[in-house]
Amino acid sequence: MNDPEDHTSLKHADRSVRELLTDMKDTSEVITDLAYASLMYDSQDMADKVRELEEEMDDLKFAIRYKVLLASRTREDARQLSGLLEVASAADRISNAASDTVNLLRFPKEKRPLITEVLTEADEKIRSMRIRDGSSMIGKTIGELMVEACTGCKIIALKGRHGWVYDPEDDTKIRVNDDIIVRGTDDGADLLKEFADGVREWEYPEVPEDEEEAEEEAEEVEQSEMELTEEIRGDDE
Amino acid sequence: MKSKLVAMFLELKDTSETMLDLAYSSLLYDSAEIAEEVLALADKMRDLSDRIMDEIVQVGRASPDEVAKAVVTTRLMGNVLEISEAARSIADVVVRGLAEHPVLAMSIRDSDTTMCLAKIAGNSILADKSLGELTLSTNTGMFVIAIKRDDDYIFGPGPEDVLRVDDILIARGPEESVSNFKDLADGSEREL
Repeated sequence: MNDPEDHTSLKHADRSVRELLTDMKDTSEVITDLAYASLMYDSQDMADKVRELEEEMDDLKFAIRYKVLLASRTREDARQLSGLLEVASAADRISNAASDTVNLLRFPKEKRPLITEVLTEADEKIRSMRIRDGSSMIGKTIGELMVEACTGCKIIALKGRHGWVYDPEDDTKIRVNDDIIVRGTDDGADLLKEFADGVREWEYPEVPEDEEEAEEEAEEVEQSEMELTEEIRGDDE
Repeated sequence: MKSKLVAMFLELKDTSETMLDLAYSSLLYDSAEIAEEVLALADKMRDLSDRIMDEIVQVGRASPDEVAKAVVTTRLMGNVLEISEAARSIADVVVRGLAEHPVLAMSIRDSDTTMCLAKIAGNSILADKSLGELTLSTNTGMFVIAIKRDDDYIFGPGPEDVLRVDDILIARGPEESVSNFKDLADGSEREL
């Protein structure tokens, strides 16, 4: 029962700290978008997804603590890992706030008009739209379209033939009459609506043609990040 | 008409998001300067939330029917503040010099919303244009969260801010957008 090699009782214990922290950050962002959207569209269904993600976040939190404690061998490890745990707990706090936000759904919609007003006027807004017949998005996956790269908008929920999908994966296919809920700037959402309505043909960005080109591009990015990081930190402190 | 309360609440929500973006960027680039700004914004958030509370009390006094709305607003405000406190605690890690673990930067780079830096070259088509006319988020997928100009920063720049040669932009967005965004800044890509 207390076999130290037995990871099965703890979810995610076989994953790396890097994977766990990445997942926590991603989840904290998705859960915030969904929490606001659930209030805006008065969706109990979306609120349930938020609660599910919140539980998932708790599993991730315990897993990362476990892995971090195992990894700490020296004082220096402990020092650096304490910072890492604080960042992980920040993601957890955000998800707690999101799950508390959806609890506001128990108040009738007319008691929370301010929320909708705020969400329709914020820098990054939440909007919904329908994929119309004739849209060039139809039949393509979110990943193929690179929706966020092309419009700056992130699809946070999609209602297709089988009901709602929250935080849809890249391989989710867009179909005619799907409803999507997106988060993005006004311009971006206006552009996406033109694509969804079929009044504008999807504009694919340039992508590397083969693996070699992709590798070259990745190297260039890495090089530039290194140089500019130096520059930005140069006169820091 | 936009009420005073809505306007203040908007600022609260937008600031909490800016803080989180800045907090992660301070972590990624281990920059105490950016982290300090997050701490300053946290103070601003506290002032703002006090003013919102005062306004809620006023509204409640003037029209008791509105009290239920006020309660909902207060609860939501608490949650927005919690996001800004989470951002503050991330920035605090940087200020304390505890942001050195390489996994921190790796996780930010690996995540769905990544971050990058881009420097505006003399021949860049972005130079001398305002963020409002460029609509970079729509055109490139990257959202500019700060600009480093000489020794200063412009945090959470708005549509009226004009990009200048040698500015270093800090932006967030999907990984697929990073390469093109950098190319636009360094002048090797000439079309937005």
